[in-house]
Parts: sequence; C-alpha cells; structure tokens
Amino acid sequence: MTTASTAPEAAGGYAVDVVARTDSSMVLSMGPQHPSTHGVLQIITEIEGEIVTKASPEIGYLHTGIEKSAENLFWSQASTVIERMDYLSPLTNALCYYLAVEKLLGIDDKIPVRAQRIRVLLSELSRIASHCVWLGTGGIDLGALTGFFYCFDLRERILDLFEMSGGARMHPNYIRVGGLAQDLPQGFLERLDAFIAMFQPRMRDVRRLLQKNPILQDRMIDVGIITPEDAVAWSLTGPVLRATGIAYDVRKAFPYSGYESYEFDLPVRSEGDAYARFVVRLDEMDEAMRIIRQVRKQLDEPGPWQIADTKFAPPPKETIALSMEALIHHFKLVSESFRVPPGDVYQAVEGPRGELGYYVVSNGDNRPWRVRTRPPSMYNLQVLKKIALGELIADMVVMIGSLDPVFGEVDR
Amino acid sequence: MPSSQAPPAGATALDPTAVRPDIADARIVRVTPAEVRATLEGLKNDGFTMLLDIGGVDYPGREPARFDVVYHLLRMPVQPATAAQVGAPERVRVLCGVPERAPSVPSVSDLWPSADWAEREIFDLYGIRFEGHPDLRRIQMPDEWEGYPLRKDYPLRGPARERTPRPSFALKSNVAAGTPASGRTAAALQKQIAQARGRNELHGAADPAAAAQSAKHPGGTVTGGAAAPEQLAERPVNLNTKENPK
Repeated sequence: MTTASTAPEAAGGYAVDVVARTDSSMVLSMGPQHPSTHGVLQIITEIEGEIVTKASPEIGYLHTGIEKSAENLFWSQASTVIERMDYLSPLTNALCYYLAVEKLLGIDDKIPVRAQRIRVLLSELSRIASHCVWLGTGGIDLGALTGFFYCFDLRERILDLFEMSGGARMHPNYIRVGGLAQDLPQGFLERLDAFIAMFQPRMRDVRRLLQKNPILQDRMIDVGIITPEDAVAWSLTGPVLRATGIAYDVRKAFPYSGYESYEFDLPVRSEGDAYARFVVRLDEMDEAMRIIRQVRKQLDEPGPWQIADTKFAPPPKETIALSMEALIHHFKLVSESFRVPPGDVYQAVEGPRGELGYYVVSNGDNRPWRVRTRPPSMYNLQVLKKIALGELIADMVVMIGSLDPVFGEVDR
Repeated sequence: MPSSQAPPAGATALDPTAVRPDIADARIVRVTPAEVRATLEGLKNDGFTMLLDIGGVDYPGREPARFDVVYHLLRMPVQPATAAQVGAPERVRVLCGVPERAPSVPSVSDLWPSADWAEREIFDLYGIRFEGHPDLRRIQMPDEWEGYPLRKDYPLRGPARERTPRPSFALKSNVAAGTPASGRTAAALQKQIAQARGRNELHGAADPAAAAQSAKHPGGTVTGGAAAPEQLAERPVNLNTKENPK
C-alpha cells in the first residue's frame, strides 16, 4: 500500500512536512514546535485516514551536551549543569549524582541524619511539583484548562519552599556533597506546615475536576495500552511501569537516604492504559505527601546538616576568620575542589519519571571522568513507537502526555 | 604551586574500573565484543529481563580496548508482581571493551527493543558501530555533524569554534587558547603592569626590595595558553607585592 521511496529514512531522516503517499496513506510530521509535545519532540507519523500505522519519534532538538560539560567542571560544579537535565525535578538529579559521588568517596554512611531527612523531604516535594506540571499540561492537551491553574498554584508554593531553602526557585543547587548547602532557614517549617494543610483539600478539588471528569475518562481509558511484557522489554520504569502491574520502585527495592524508615505504599494499577498512568501519578502525589508528613515530624530536632570532614564540605563560615586550617580548606575547595578516588559506580534513585540512574567514573582527578545518565523519560518515550500503532492520531497527544517526557533529560 | 593535599601529577588511573573501591552496587562482568551478545543473551534467559541502560566511556590510551560499552541489567519479573515479589532485584553490569580501530559491537536491539535509541546515541557520540542495528544513524547531533563529541579528544566547544580565537580568561585545561579577539594578550598585559610599576616608582613610594623582587619575576600572568606555555609555569605577577605609601 505504501511505497518505500518516500519513507522518512530515505529523506535523510529529516522532517517531511506533509507528503501524500498513496490515495489513502500519508506522512504527517508532528512537531517539533507542537504545543502538545511538551518540549521539542518531532513525531513522523504514517497515517491511514486517522489511524496511525507507524510513528517514529525524532529527538535531539534540545541536545546541549550536558554530559560533556560535566566532564569539564569540578565535581561540585557539575551539579549545576546536572540539575538542568530534568528541569521539573532538579533536586532529584542532584541527589542521585551526589549519592554516586559520596559512594566513590566512601562517605555515604557518614551523611548526617538531618541532611538525609531534608533530602527526602525535597525529593518528595519535587515529585509533587513535577506531577503538578504533568497534570496541568496534560489536562490542557485534552482541553481542560481550569485544572492547570489549580496545579500550578500548588507548584508555586513548592517552588517558594525551594526558594527559601536554596535561594532559587527552579534550580536551587541546595544538595551538596556530604549534605546540604545550609540548614533550613527560619520560617521554612511554618510555610511547610501551611503547604501540608492546603494540599489535601486542593488534591480533592483536582481529583473532582479531572479524575472524575467523564470527558477525560473517555479520552484516556483503553488508550495506549502497555502490557507488563512490553514494559519490561522497553525498559519502562516509574509510574508507567507501575501502571502495568509491576510494583518496582527504587525507593523500595534499593532504599537510599533512609527511605526504608518511612511508611508508604506503591500505587499500582493493572490496566496499563493512559488512565491507569494518570491515576497512579495522582495516588503517588498523595503517597509523597504521606512521606512528607512523616519527615516533618522529625525536622523539629536540630542537628548537623553536612559532614564534619572539611576536605569535602566547606567549613562553617564563622570558623574561617579564626582558623588557618579552615581558611585553607575553604580556599582549596573553591579553587580546585576535592579529588575523588578512581573507580566507577552506578547509583539510582526514583525520580518522578522512573529510575534515574547515574553511572559515574572517576580517574582520581578533581573533575568527573564520565557522568552517564540513565534518563527515565527517554526510555519511557521510546515505547511510543509501539503503543501508537493502530491508535487514532488524536490520541497521540494523550499518549505523549501520559508518558510525561521532559526533553531536557531526553536530549541532555 | 602544587598543593600538599593534592596527589602528585600523573596519579590518575588509566582504567578506573580496574582499581575501583569495593562498592556493592552491581555484579560486574567483563567481556570482549565477540562474547557480548552470547553473554547478554544468557543473562536475559537467566532472568535479567530488563536492560536498564547502555552507556559509553572513553579511556584514550588504554590498550587494547579504548572504549567501554556499559550494559546495566536488572532481574525483573515480566508479569504483574507486588513490591514483595519484586524485592531487591539483582543488578549486573556488563563492561564490553572495544578497540580503537574500527570500533564495533554486535547490536542487541532484537533482544531488547529499548536498546534502539541507546545504541544510536553511543554511535552518535562515540562513533562505535552496532552491527545488526536496523536504523543506525545519529540521534542527538545533526545528521551532517563531523566527529564524535563525547570522545575525550573532541574539543569542548567543537572543532569549528575551536579555530576561532578564545578569550584567555576562560582558559580550560583541555582546550588550547589562542589570541583573544580583544587583543589583550599576555604580553600586552605585562606591558601595562610594567607601566603601572614605573609610575609607582616615579612617585617614589616603592621600597627597593619589592622592586628587586618584581624585576626577578617578570614572568607570566594568568593569561597565556598554548602560545606561551612556559610562562604558565612561572609564578603569576602579583600587583599587590608593593606596600601602599603611607
């Protein structure tokens, strides 16, 4: 039915705007400047009428060479670019990278307990903030504009908390090797309490508005079904995997930063369609709040927030003016950073999109030799090639939204 | 001046994976490109059904294999399973050393469809060919791009911009600097410093010891680079060596 001569591969892999092929089939290029692609994604689709017969996503429009840049920065500077990969949950990236560096340094068991609690608090806040963006923009894809404002208002409050902790809303750079940049400022816990108090009523509103909405249910149920076999073969992780019935979560399987001491459930659905992924993410937001409540109870207790070893963590500011050794350590850290013993390590955390992994190699220098990211949303997005087949072209938008890609991370 | 804390130069490891500390993050398997497919197929049949990631690392100068292609596998059930059934799945890391000449590895994209983009990315950024891959073309870089950016000998800013002059204040260790567009070369800066010194001496504020010291160290400033590497080795000129006139 279709002729191979006008296939996109034959055109050098470039976008073919709209190419009529036979009387019934055509190639339609969607993106990269399409509002529903959540970034710069191009999908070259072959359609028969309204049915998709082939979908090939083209990525790389946002490639910024972050991994190459990280190799040319000090160990502590590299987290600046690494936070920009998954820009919807930057703290998760920084946490994973620093957990790997701490393992190489051999100080992973010396991180103060208060620092670990705050790290858990911030990763769960990041998860809620990231899911808020997914929920708001995913609703817009389907024409539900109101939910966007509810979700982004919720996210703004989390970004206010990030701003208090690290000084910046989007990329706080608050997690450091050996702990944190500083302790939580005064007034943080009060604002956190206010956020915890407003979260449950707001989620009730959002669920009423979106989850129970019959139009959204019609658009999402039985769309983009993934079987558990496919999910494993295509290396899916995170909510996309758990919506197929496999309860794999790095927080449970390989606990880090004290996740084993918190009580939380893994939301799992077995349908594997877009609606299952939608509900799993909504339930995950509630579970994240459950963890935040448990952490909040422990945060009244003061304590150190970074390791005492000033070879890796800068000495307290007040000692620098009095102690020669502290001054030297501070100067060395700023001017040439620390050195990491040679070796390689793979470290994974559960990001909002799935297993976020870092394969970090050190050759003993003060710069990383290699920082390889395992980008969860790149693997999750890849399955679009499979699940879009036989679906309506209009449902492509729903499927992209339900996979929740972030292109800073897909393209790096 | 080298630091007393820093290890002596040349202490960096040529193959860090051989001297790694004892970190229990995964079981490690080393293979050659000829064995990698059979190994991965065996592991898959053994229950390591999920190929988490494929990454590449470049170790220039390592013999006989300059590159590593790194496969991360996870033992994962393929049917619906509770968190207790999944448990703490075992991890395996397969390191496949690839020689520098005509680097090539058999593709596993027929075993795991998810290997498609990962292998294309390594081909794109390292130039390692994956034999049997159905659609091996660049994925992150433009199709007409020259060179393989994640190789260590590829300049940070790319070859095209590398030919243009670069501001010397942004000197990076792995990039050769040229004459900056501003014309503020090391020589020009030193001339300016000498002029400032001369003015100071005319005002009669200088003590002879400091003047002698500055004459002894007329050498390089923080600028410089490939054009004058010997200047970098000397002590930078410090404008504050003279005391201010009382």
